[in-house]
This record gives sequence, C-alpha cells and structure tokens, in this order.
Amino acid sequence: MKNIGREFDVIVIGGGITGAGTARDCALRGLKVLLVERNDIADGATGRNHGLLHSGARYAVKDSESAAECIKENMILRRIARNCVDDTQGIFITLPEDADSGYGLDYQKQFIEACHASGINARVLDPKEALRMEPSVNPRLIGAVQVPDGSVDPFRLCSANILDAKLHGAEIMTYTELKSFIREGDSIVGVRLLDKKSGETLECRARVCVNAAGIWGHNVAELAGVHVGMYPAKGALLVFGHRVNNVVINRCRKSADGDILVPGDTVTVIGTTSTKVPFEECDNMSVTREEVELLLREGCALCPSLAQTRILRAYAGVRPLVAADNDPTGRSISRGIVCLDHETRDGLKGFITITGGKLMTYRLMAEWATDAVCRKLAVTAACTTADKPLPGSEPEDQYKEVKLPQFAGANLGMKASVGRQGSMTEKIDYTSEENRELICECEQVTVGEIRYAVKELGVTSLLDLRRRTRVGMGTCQGTYCIYKAAKVLAEALGKPEMEQQLAEEYLSERWKGMSAVGWGDTLREMEFMQKVYKVGKPTSFNR
Amino acid sequence: MKFDTVIIGGGLAGYTAAKTLIERGLRCAVITEGLSLKDVPLRSLPCSLFVGDRVLSADVEDGRVLALHTLRLEDEPLEADNYILATGKFFSKGLLVDMDRIYEPIFGLDLDADQDRAKWFSTDFCADQLFLHFGVKNYGGGRVALDGVMLKNLFAAGELLSDISGIEEDADDRIRKSAAEAAANIR
Repeated sequence: MKNIGREFDVIVIGGGITGAGTARDCALRGLKVLLVERNDIADGATGRNHGLLHSGARYAVKDSESAAECIKENMILRRIARNCVDDTQGIFITLPEDADSGYGLDYQKQFIEACHASGINARVLDPKEALRMEPSVNPRLIGAVQVPDGSVDPFRLCSANILDAKLHGAEIMTYTELKSFIREGDSIVGVRLLDKKSGETLECRARVCVNAAGIWGHNVAELAGVHVGMYPAKGALLVFGHRVNNVVINRCRKSADGDILVPGDTVTVIGTTSTKVPFEECDNMSVTREEVELLLREGCALCPSLAQTRILRAYAGVRPLVAADNDPTGRSISRGIVCLDHETRDGLKGFITITGGKLMTYRLMAEWATDAVCRKLAVTAACTTADKPLPGSEPEDQYKEVKLPQFAGANLGMKASVGRQGSMTEKIDYTSEENRELICECEQVTVGEIRYAVKELGVTSLLDLRRRTRVGMGTCQGTYCIYKAAKVLAEALGKPEMEQQLAEEYLSERWKGMSAVGWGDTLREMEFMQKVYKVGKPTSFNR
Repeated sequence: MKFDTVIIGGGLAGYTAAKTLIERGLRCAVITEGLSLKDVPLRSLPCSLFVGDRVLSADVEDGRVLALHTLRLEDEPLEADNYILATGKFFSKGLLVDMDRIYEPIFGLDLDADQDRAKWFSTDFCADQLFLHFGVKNYGGGRVALDGVMLKNLFAAGELLSDISGIEEDADDRIRKSAAEAAANIR
C-alpha cells in the first residue's frame, strides 16, 4: 500500500458528467479535490444517451418542475458550454394517428400552454413550415411546435469539466476502483483504491466523500454501509450512418419509446427505450432485436427515410433512477435530482450521494452536491458554474477564428479541432506538416489533435481517445482509420509495442455495437471491415 | 440474346471462369455491377460485357435455367446453355440478409447458414466470424441446388460458396480454383 496519508477536502467517486461537474464545482470553490473513476471518464450513462440538449418541453405537461429545471440549464449550457452545444432547435410533431390515441391538436394546445408556463419558448409551426425547416420529417404531419432543443456532445462536456477541475487543482484518477471506505466511528474518512493499470492499492483520506457513480452508486452506497434504493432503467439507442436530420424531431404526445431523433455531429441517433434491468447487467449492456425493431418502427414514423439508412450500431445506457425514501414498494420512482446527506439520513458522517437527474441537469446536481459538501466543511464560497465558461467555450471572439499564425490556411481537420476543442485548440501544435495530417476522415481528426489529447486529456487507449476526439465514431466506424490512429497513439504514449492491442480493443468495441444490428447494409460493412483488417496483413488481426 | 455461357459477377471468380471458357472457344457474356479490381482485366476479354447491369430474376424449369432478366435489358432475356453464378458474399450482394432471413437473391439457392443469429458474430473482432463461412451450398465442383433439387446448368464459383471465405490467406487461389472447377463442368 502506497501514499498513505494523502489528504483531500473532498473525494468524488465517479467520472461521469455528475462526478466531473461536482469535481469542477468543488475545485472552483477552492477545495482540494480528488476524483476517482474505475474506467474512463464518460464511460457509463454519460456516454450512452441521445446527446440531447433538452428544452424541457418533453416534461412540460407532466412534470413542470423538471421542465423548468431543463430550460434553465439549457440556457446556461448554451453560455458556459457553447463549444459542446449545437443549437439545432427542435420540433414536436403530431401525426394523424396521434389524434386517434388522444394526442391530436387539442393536446398540442395543452402542450404549448404547459411549455409557456415552464418558461419554454414554444411556437406553433404550419406543417409546411415544419417541412421547410426539416425536410426529412414525416410529411404526413398535421402539426408541429418549435422549441429550443439542441444537441450536446456529452463526451466533450464531461472532458471539459474534468479539464477545468484539473486546471483548478483537482487530481483525477481514472482506471482506479474504489475497493472500500475508511471508516472511523460514525464517519467516512477516506477510501481504499485499486489502480487497475498498475495493480497497486492506495489509501486517500478526505473530510467528505461524494458518491456520484450513477447507477453504480448503488454499490458505492452499500460499501459505505447505507442503502439507496436505485432502479437501473436501460435505454437502448441506434446510430444511423449519416446526419439525416438537422433539427431534433420529437413526437408531441405522452413520452414513449423511440420518440426522439437527435442529430449529433456527423450522425443521427434514435432513442430510447426504458426497461428495468438487474444490477449485474449494468456493466455489460446489449441491445435486443425487439428493441431495435421498436426503435426502427418509431424512428421511421418521425423520419421515413430512416428505413433506407444504414444503421451504424446500437448501444444502451442505464439511467440511475431512485425510489423515494418513503416508498418501500419502489413504485414511486423519481426522475428528479436526489441529493442525500447520509449524516441526516443515516447518521453516517462525511458521505453524500448525488444521483437521479439527467445529463441536462448535471450542473445543477453538481451545485447541490457541492453546496452540501461546503456546508459540511463550513466553506462559504458561492457557486460560479452557471456563469463561468468551460475551457474551450470562452466567448466567441476568443476562439471561433483561432487567430494564430499557424491557422493561416487551416485545413478541414484543423477547423474540426476548433469545433471540438474550442479555444483549447491553441494548445494543439499545428506548426508541423505531420501534425496537420488527417487520421480519421469521417470526423476529421488530425495527428496533432491526437497528440494533444494524449498530453492534456488523460488518454490511455483508443476508446479513451474516442471520447475526447470522436476518432472512429463516424460513418466507417474505424474501418479506414483505426490502424493509423493506433500507430499515432501508441507512439504518443511511448508504447509502440501496444499498437496492435490498441486497435484490437477498439475494433472489438465497435464490433459489439454493429453485431446487434448485423443485417442489411450494416452486415455488408461488417464483411468489409473484416477484410480490411484481416486480408493480407503482416500483423495478425486474424486469429 | 443467346450465348454459350452467361457469367453473373465480374470479380475474380467470374473473370477466371469467363477467361477459361473463352480460351476453350465458348461464346460468353459477363454481367457485372461494376469494374472494381485492378487485377481483374475484364475489359480485355473477348466477350459480351454488361457493365452496370444486374440480374433481377431467372426462369427455371425442371432443374434447368432457361433465361435471365436484367435491370437494363428490360425486354431482352439473356439465354445460354449454361450459367455461372459468381456474385460473392454480403458486400457484393451475392447474399442478402434482412432481419428475418438470409438468401441468395437471384435463384434462391440452397444455403449453408446457421439460423441462430446469436452464433453469427464473435465478440472478439479478431476471432473467426461464423457469418463469413455462410454461402451457397457446394455439392462438388460448384454444383448447386434449389429446394433440394440439383440444377443441371447452373454452377456457382468463388466467395458465394459457403466453403470459400475471402478472409483466408489462400482465398484468391481457392477462388480461382473454384472458378476453374465450375468451368470444367461445362462441356
């Protein structure tokens, strides 16, 4: 055991968006922070959702509180995370068959009123106007409402929070698993950790520990000896081979499966479903054929051309839903934010759980959790995360045209770097021809951006690199670029011998998502991918 | 239009079969969706070459193929004494797969393919993938069957056959060999 006696003010457990946001908020308030994550950042539900910047309209009729929360955070993220947000706008459409199930134009009226009551700017569109705004929308629509939806890159958002936490002194340990808590009397005073890469164990102490582990927070709470009644709700999604729509398309009816189609960077995502799954399955989600059929059917109702569009892959995440404390049956499940101070709830000092909520409200969740930490530590610093831009998202004039001599005659890859890394692009060395070379053509990722990600963003594998740069996430799913990316990454890591292993690990991860939809053009692509990597190659991808 | 042999598919297998038969003096036609591989000099063959065309359906009677109908030669069926099918596997659409079935789209030939989709893909990308071994069932020398009945004048060659997978190291040799075997059936 090493590093005994390392002291922090707060240890945040979980490197998803909630943990990242909490670490940033704590660091900004002057606390000494450690964040531990057992895999990579954004590895759980943070990286497995729509990437939808909710306007809140979806919740307006049933849950005005959530709707108001959403629109408020929506407006905040447009300011502080402008580099992660794409202001696509969204429409809620009504189809003829919706009228038969009680969600016709009368409901649309009720929907708009509810939006306005929650502070959401909703505007009725004539069906023709909606078709002009989004030509891919189902032309049979009889009504449409425009709302300020958008898309948000959750990987980039999480990474920016982590980076800012680091810039303010936080220590980030990825691939580090919580093994147990150090307990003294009725207090949690630290953690015992396993460094999964080196196999070493270590102890760190802190005055407060924050459980921000999403659905895995259930297990973290058990380790601390308290119980949080969580309900793992699986959501499956499909990614299509190109950006079919430019505007988020929703169904104007009671929330149901597969009724949101979100354009994200170069692709389009349809989702989602909601199924309760056992905790054991949370680490290895797979999408079933029934889920794919349902998503395709509902997706085609929003946008008929999806029927002819290649599906890139399928994936699933697990929502950390929480049962109300006073409901032993678990029927009353909240989708709102749950912040538990286990001292008042269970008599356990130095331990806080922040859970529930959603990607959209991560900043508010982090604020609540940090407020609770500060109360315990008698720190009075106020929260500034609603105003202070994330790294890369400084106001437009500071980054949109990165005004550096090296950007004269910038190629598409360099411009794409600005799109992804924002003002942080200044840190990418684009002075050499080599660094300007493209590696991933679908997403336009350069050698320079890969080297930057290794140096500044804590990348250890191609999967980590994907979460920082979108390498291999586009139309070809890595078919044309992963062998190149593996070489650049292995060299940047100073481990050239790892090249093959890095590529295999990445391809197998893509393969899993493709296998779930292994028919039609996806299967054709799968045969092609196998051939690219296995036919006549000196290194052996063929076992 | 009448030929001695019509070859469907202009990849390595189709080219090799056509070349073999032309050298024996047979009058051949090759139908191919595209010209792709640089080492398959289809254009150099003295035969009728239908590039950018696709066979939509076939007339089959008493175990014999009588004629082919293509996308571009709308009212002009292609007739021949013998036919060679060399359309490859999935990427080249020799085999089509949808959510419910896997099939050979022109004739509906009998296939070797596991119906249990859970077995099709190994989770390890680098491991052998069962679906790459699916294809038309080879009854020897490229002889094929339709609903269990052997066809008399249709032979399959190349990767379309279940016993040839393009992934294997000696795939090109095996593809050429299967094309030569199919051609050898034609007298």
